[in-house]
Amino acid sequence: MVLELSDYMSLGSYLLQTIGMFLIFKKCGKKPWHAIIPVYNDYELAKCAKREKEGRVMILLGLLVAVTDMTSKLIAIFTPGSVWDEFFIMLRGAISICSMVYMVRIYIGLCYVFGRRRAWIWLFIFFPGFTTFTWGVSKKIVPVMSLEDEKGVEDSGIHAEEIEKGLTVNIRQRSASEFFKKKILLRDLHLTIPKGHLVLLLGGSGAGKTTFLNAVTGYEKADATILLDGHDLYKEYESMKYDVGFVPQQDLMRGNDTVLMTLEDAATLRLPDSYSRKERKKRVMEVLESFGLSMLANTLVEKLSGGQKKRLSIAMEFISDPSLFILDEPDSGLDGVVARGLFEKLRAIADSGKIVIVITHTPDRVADLFDDVIVLAKDASRTGRLAFYGDLEEAREFFGKDSMEHVLRAVNQKEEGGEGRATEFVSRFTYETKRKAG
Amino acid sequence: MEQNNTNVNIKHKGHVAQTGIYLGKLFRMFIFQSDWKVMPMAAVIAGLVCFVVGANLFKTMEGTLLGTFALSCICIWNGFFNSIQVICRERPIIKREHRSGMHISSYIAAHMIYQAFLCLCQSYITLQICMIMKVSFPAMARITPWPVLDIGITLFLTTYAADMMALMVSAFVHNTTTAMTIMPFLLIFQLVFSGGFFQLDGFALKLCDFTVAKWGLTSLCAQADYNHLPMVSLWNSAFKLKDIEVNSETTDKVKDAVNDEIQDLNMDEEMVAEVKDILVSEGIDLEKELNEMTAQRITELLKQQGLDIEIEGQKPVWEILHYIEVNGMKEGLLLKSAEFNQNPNYEGSTENIIHCWSRLLLFIVIFSCLSVASLEYIDKDKR
Repeated sequence: MVLELSDYMSLGSYLLQTIGMFLIFKKCGKKPWHAIIPVYNDYELAKCAKREKEGRVMILLGLLVAVTDMTSKLIAIFTPGSVWDEFFIMLRGAISICSMVYMVRIYIGLCYVFGRRRAWIWLFIFFPGFTTFTWGVSKKIVPVMSLEDEKGVEDSGIHAEEIEKGLTVNIRQRSASEFFKKKILLRDLHLTIPKGHLVLLLGGSGAGKTTFLNAVTGYEKADATILLDGHDLYKEYESMKYDVGFVPQQDLMRGNDTVLMTLEDAATLRLPDSYSRKERKKRVMEVLESFGLSMLANTLVEKLSGGQKKRLSIAMEFISDPSLFILDEPDSGLDGVVARGLFEKLRAIADSGKIVIVITHTPDRVADLFDDVIVLAKDASRTGRLAFYGDLEEAREFFGKDSMEHVLRAVNQKEEGGEGRATEFVSRFTYETKRKAG
Repeated sequence: MEQNNTNVNIKHKGHVAQTGIYLGKLFRMFIFQSDWKVMPMAAVIAGLVCFVVGANLFKTMEGTLLGTFALSCICIWNGFFNSIQVICRERPIIKREHRSGMHISSYIAAHMIYQAFLCLCQSYITLQICMIMKVSFPAMARITPWPVLDIGITLFLTTYAADMMALMVSAFVHNTTTAMTIMPFLLIFQLVFSGGFFQLDGFALKLCDFTVAKWGLTSLCAQADYNHLPMVSLWNSAFKLKDIEVNSETTDKVKDAVNDEIQDLNMDEEMVAEVKDILVSEGIDLEKELNEMTAQRITELLKQQGLDIEIEGQKPVWEILHYIEVNGMKEGLLLKSAEFNQNPNYEGSTENIIHCWSRLLLFIVIFSCLSVASLEYIDKDKR
């Protein structure tokens, strides 16, 4: 077999790349010898670039290439000149394009971790061997951030005692799988909310507020026990889902229906079958009246203002008179006066013996209406944890802040403009909860 | 309001009632939003197609293949556009309603009924336009007592199967952009693998069985009794040559005749080569001589065959075509040429049509089931 110049160049590039990876892995605290394992070395490089997901995709693509090549060779032996040859060429081309895209993502991550300009990507694309080698040998090119996963705060190990009339939440863990990797989104949240309470749910972006609410409502089940008036919400989900009202952040309604039609259809879906047409109509009228929508009954939803749409969205859930009422940023896009009016309405609902949990990013204008506050924050392992649960006065004292917005700033990450003290407060709250539980 | 929803015995509205709710919503959208616009659109498309291919539709083999292919395309186009966006555009709303107790099967059933109504109207409009444009429909009915109804059922089933396919795509994807990106690929796949126009074999041919276009096209061709229609390609090709006059351009034919003569002399290859060498040595270029041969030589050759025809300047192709036409042999010739180009797939039998319809129905059932199955997981949508 005679090697041509291009073969020598490919071999040289491969060797340079392997040596470069060896040295880069050393700089990143990884095992350098992993550089000599084909396919797996791309995964390790991705970890150095804080792009583990892309690394996993690269492993998958590498395996696909191996399977494709092997299959196409076998087919060429047994059925030479078949149509499958072209198919495999096509497939191989598609895989190569995918690999290239994912490698570029990894290189972008590498530039970010090593604090280098993105222009390096072009060199990585056109001269991968030389560029990787340069990054490996250069003493100036080193990671500018930590690659080690930090450990989060330890679990409290406690369990919230069940209350007969109210909501008992015991979330041990809520995890999600993302491309063969388990990610813990929430951990160790234990609390009880009595009936008649209006609860503020506070947390920075990505702290797990919506994940928490979805776990509580049973929409996305967690490793948890959620009891509503003593009934297990997960086990009796099919019958209990009508007892939970969830108002999403967006106004998810059909614009071409009128307000009355929207509520009538909501009533037909949510109310028990035992309701006669007359009773259903009566309930719709009551809710229309209660939410100040009577005058707009025949108006198309798309013609409503932001505040009116929000009221209708809440009314749709309220029509079945749920015991647990959850609202995800009901005041987004509303001015202060309208928002205040809305929260007063929610206070009235809570006072009628319901549990109302609300996410809002402007809590201080209505802080006096809330009974309790739940503060969620990401600890060092970037898992959503309970940083505080109690009444608002205690919260101010606990965080040493005079407003809920300052509390939020205290637990927010530094890159979000916060103080980055989430782990400190999670740790303190966990400790105090354990102490109280004895 | 006193109610204890935690009681497992409390029943809520069932599938039929929920289907009614969504059906009402869809028909409201038909009236008050732009959904009704698919009707005039169907008329315009049908009009255009009839204008272009309507003249020979159901009359000749080629015209029928082209026309039925175009009709299938209309159906697929209509079906795709009816439903490609209907689910994905309101996916977050469906998710919310599903969490509030909406049955996905009721939701899809409502769409199926509504889309059936749209497809029925569109098929009717297409048929009406064909009639207005004076498309001659097959005279013989195969399944129902009326041939037009047979054609109408095929158009409906093809449109509806394409519609259900698009509905399935709409249920699978998460937004309208993805749906509209996928749609052209599906459309091209349907057209390429319709099995009518493109020469396919092996694995590619088997793929045709998985397209709505193939079964729609096959059914229409079977209803038109494709295999017993006249084939005009041969006649039309010959007709294009009608003005060819006999002159030096015909020397290729003469060359063949001369070669035949040489062969008649029983000269073997060595002898021929020897003769050619002699001619070359005497400065005679045989190729050139043959190329310069004129109609005079053709006349001589014809005379040798016992045909005393003065051919210089005449149009023999035209004369032959004229002769065939005047003597009433054209139809026979067209049918004879069709005999050699029959397609067993387009056999004009009741069984074949029923087979095509059952395939289309199978597609409808599969696509709708897949739509339900994929939407059942809507709660797992990422936020």
